[in-house]
Amino acid sequence: MKIKDTIIILAIVTFMSLFSNVLGTKADIIQSIPGLLILAVIAFVGMLLSKYIPGGIPAAAWVVTLGCILTIPGVPGSDIINGYVKNVGFVALCTPILAYAGVSIGKDLDAFAKTGWRIVILAIVVFVGTYIASAIIAQCILKALGQI
Amino acid sequence: MKNIKLHAIILALIIVSELIGTHPLKFGIGRIVLLPMLYALLLGILTTPKFLNLSGRKEMLDASSLVGVTLMLLMARYGTLVGPTLPKILAASPALILQEFGNLGTVLLGVPVAVYLGLKRETIGAAHSIAREPNVALIGEKFGLDSSEGRGVMGVYIAGTVFGTIFFGLMASVAASVLPIHPYALAMASGVGSASMMTAAVGSLVAMYPDMADQLAAFGAASNMLSGLDGLYMSVWLGLPMTEWLYKRFYKIKYGVLPEADKKGEEA
Repeated sequence: MKIKDTIIILAIVTFMSLFSNVLGTKADIIQSIPGLLILAVIAFVGMLLSKYIPGGIPAAAWVVTLGCILTIPGVPGSDIINGYVKNVGFVALCTPILAYAGVSIGKDLDAFAKTGWRIVILAIVVFVGTYIASAIIAQCILKALGQI
Repeated sequence: MKNIKLHAIILALIIVSELIGTHPLKFGIGRIVLLPMLYALLLGILTTPKFLNLSGRKEMLDASSLVGVTLMLLMARYGTLVGPTLPKILAASPALILQEFGNLGTVLLGVPVAVYLGLKRETIGAAHSIAREPNVALIGEKFGLDSSEGRGVMGVYIAGTVFGTIFFGLMASVAASVLPIHPYALAMASGVGSASMMTAAVGSLVAMYPDMADQLAAFGAASNMLSGLDGLYMSVWLGLPMTEWLYKRFYKIKYGVLPEADKKGEEA
C-alpha cells in the first residue's frame, strides 16, 4: 500500500472514530481530537517502521510497542500522551472496525455459514485450553517456589 | 478508498450503533454484554446484497481492504493501555510470567480439534491464540480478515466478545470445584483473555474463596496486564509458527496428504 493511501485511510478511520468516541464515551469532540490524532500518528509511524525496517515484524507489533513505550511512566512526554489518549475509549474504537468488517463479511457469508458452528465449538476449546494450560503452569511454579 | 458511498454507510452504522448503546443482559449464571461494535457488525452484514443491498460488491471489496488499517488505530490505543502498567508488570512473580506460556495450550488443544471438525485454513486464525484484538490485527495483516484465516480469528473473537464473560465466569467455578489446582493459580490463569473475561473469572473465584479476595483480584489483574503485553509477540513468534506446523501434521493424519498451500484463501 502506498504511503499516501495509508495516510488517507488513517484520516478517514480517525474521523469515523471521532463519531464513535463522542457518542460512545463521556468525552466531547474537543477532548477526543488530540488523543485520536496521537493514536493516528503512532499507527502511521508503526506501519512505516514495519515497511522499512527489515525482519518482517508485523505493523501491529510495531504499533503496539510504540504506543507502549511512549506511555511508560517516566518516559518524557508520557504524562501528556496518557492524558490525551485516556479520552479515547478502547471499545468505541472497535465500532468503526467492526462496521467495516461487517460490510466486508457480506461477500463471504456462505463460507461463514458453512464454518460458523464449528468455529463456535472451537472457540470454547480455545478458551478452555488457554485457561487450563495457564493454570497448570502457574500451579507447578507456585508449588516449586513453595508459595502454595 | 475514495468510495464515498461506503464511508457514508459506515458513518451511519456507527451513529446508529452508538446511539443504541451498551446493554448488559443478566442471566442466572452471569451476564452477556451487547456492545455497539456487535450492532455495527450485524448492521454492516445487513447492508450487503443478500439483505438490504445498500452495499454492493465494490463496497464489500473496498471495506475488506480497509479493515487492516482501521485495526492499527486500535493497536495504538492498545499499546497506550499497556505502557502505564509496565512498571507493575515488571514486578510480577515468575509464576505469573511463566503461566503466560499457557497461551500455547490453545494451539495444542485447538489445532487437533479444529482439524477433526473439518476446518481447513480457518484453523490458523482460530486456534493460534485466544483471539483478542492484537491477534485479530495480526491475522488481518498477514492474511486479510476476508481470508479463511481471517474468518477463523473473527469467529473466535466474536464468540469471545459475546459469550466470553459468561463462559470465563462459569469455567473458573467449575475448575475451582473439580480440579486440584490452587485458587491462586486459577486467578493467574483468569487473565489470559480480555479484561471482562478476567473480571468474571476472578469474580467467581472470589465468591468461592472470599478470604483470598484481594490476592485473587491482584493476580488476575496482573496476569491480564501481562497478556496485554506479551499476547501479540507470543502469537508472532510462537503461536502462529506452532499452529502452522501442527496444522500440517494433523491435516496429514486426517486427509492422508499435506494441505495444498496454493489453495490458501479459497477453501471453506
